[in-house]
Amino acid sequence: MLKNYEKEISWKAGVYAIAVHLALLGGLLISFNWKAAHPVLNVAEVELWDSIPSSAPPPPPVIVPKIEPKVEPKIEPPPVVNEEPKPEPEAKVEEPKVDIALEKKKELEQKRLEEKAAKLEAEKLKKEKLDALRAELLKDEMRDNDKQLNDKKAKNDALKKLQQDLSAEGDQQALAAKASANAGVIDEYKRKIQDKIKGNVNNELCGDGKPVLKFKIDLLPSGELSGSPKLTKTSGLEACDDAVERAIMASQPLPLPDDVALKSQFRNLNLTFTPNN
Amino acid sequence: MNVGVANDMSIFSLVAGASLPVQLVMVILLITSLFSWWYIFIKVATVKRAETNAEDFEKAFWTGGDLNKLYEGLSVGRRKPQGMASIFEAGFKEYARHKQQGRTEVSDIMEGTRRAMRAAYNREMDDLDAHLPFLASVGSVSPYIGLFGTVWGIMNSFRGLSSVAQATLSQVAPGIAEALIATAIGLFAAIPAVIAYNRFASSVDRLSVRYESFMEEFTNILQRKS
Repeated sequence: MLKNYEKEISWKAGVYAIAVHLALLGGLLISFNWKAAHPVLNVAEVELWDSIPSSAPPPPPVIVPKIEPKVEPKIEPPPVVNEEPKPEPEAKVEEPKVDIALEKKKELEQKRLEEKAAKLEAEKLKKEKLDALRAELLKDEMRDNDKQLNDKKAKNDALKKLQQDLSAEGDQQALAAKASANAGVIDEYKRKIQDKIKGNVNNELCGDGKPVLKFKIDLLPSGELSGSPKLTKTSGLEACDDAVERAIMASQPLPLPDDVALKSQFRNLNLTFTPNN
Repeated sequence: MNVGVANDMSIFSLVAGASLPVQLVMVILLITSLFSWWYIFIKVATVKRAETNAEDFEKAFWTGGDLNKLYEGLSVGRRKPQGMASIFEAGFKEYARHKQQGRTEVSDIMEGTRRAMRAAYNREMDDLDAHLPFLASVGSVSPYIGLFGTVWGIMNSFRGLSSVAQATLSQVAPGIAEALIATAIGLFAAIPAVIAYNRFASSVDRLSVRYESFMEEFTNILQRKS
């Protein structure tokens, strides 16, 4: 393979070749971080989300009714403003009287006019004073209202905070209570579903013994089945299994609670049947 | 491809975790790479020596000394002359023999000398071209071998994925990583081989041009002498 003159340097060349490969391997080991990150941890996170949405809805209804009273005081100021236009019609009624007096006596017109002009002026002054007073009163009232509003706002805020704190504290208790209540409702509806299906089972096909079957069904929110029921434990009698399956298909739609959060609990159901009991 | 392997992605565990055909491909490629580097270093040395030899001989030849002395100096030497010197030796030997036999036909002498030099030239070119075909095939084939190993490894890791209900990236990633090592080794073998092949081919071409022109010039000199 090698020529004679190449044999002299073949050893040297071999050493160089191995050195090159070792250098590359070293470079690979140094430049790469061969320890992978933590791929395993990500897997477990998915299932935790299921319980949280059901607890989120309850707080809003508690807070909403208490916001309503806060809106009422804001409507109060308008009736105070309505008092202003009332004095104006009084002034307008006096002027037509002056016109009637003018027709009766022409000589006294000027004197009376002068007198009435003076009176009018006096009245105007009085009106202005009244208006000013009323404006001041209004301002005072407005200020009072504002203060009251602020106070009420502060009180409302404090109330809200208290309620939120209370509700936060109460959440866990409420959740526990709700969970137990939910469990009760779920059991009740499970029983209802089982009863409805049982009513449709043809008992004659299941023999004289006490066969026990288990079915796994997937339910839509409408109470209908999504897909066909899966037999997870057979009774040993094929006819009986078929009878129960037919009964499940025949009892659609199955009864479900109205609560949307609860409906999700019925998505996957494991039902046990004992047709002869 | 267990979870343990996924955590320990050191290059050794990746190679050890690969399937047998992929490991086989890796071993073949590693051996090819070692050989190609070995040949590269041998060729670097031989080509360099051939170039310096040609330079030295041309210097000695064109300084205008006696051709007989030059020939004696070469044939007395312990080792067989190489490159340009061996062409000169073959040509001059043939010329001297013709002269000894007392032939006077110039064209016959020149014909014989030319043939002798052509033979020596072919031997030299054969020496210079040695191992170049190997480098050429390593350069063109080893990427495909590496690719074959990678495809095989990826096929395997995807086949393993089909049996799992929930497919995650961490289940395929180690398989693909270890499969890609095969391509990496293939490329590492191919790139230097291609570069070296191109370099050596051009060096050998230049040397052959040098040899041929020397042959022509030496023929002219011998023709003038006879």
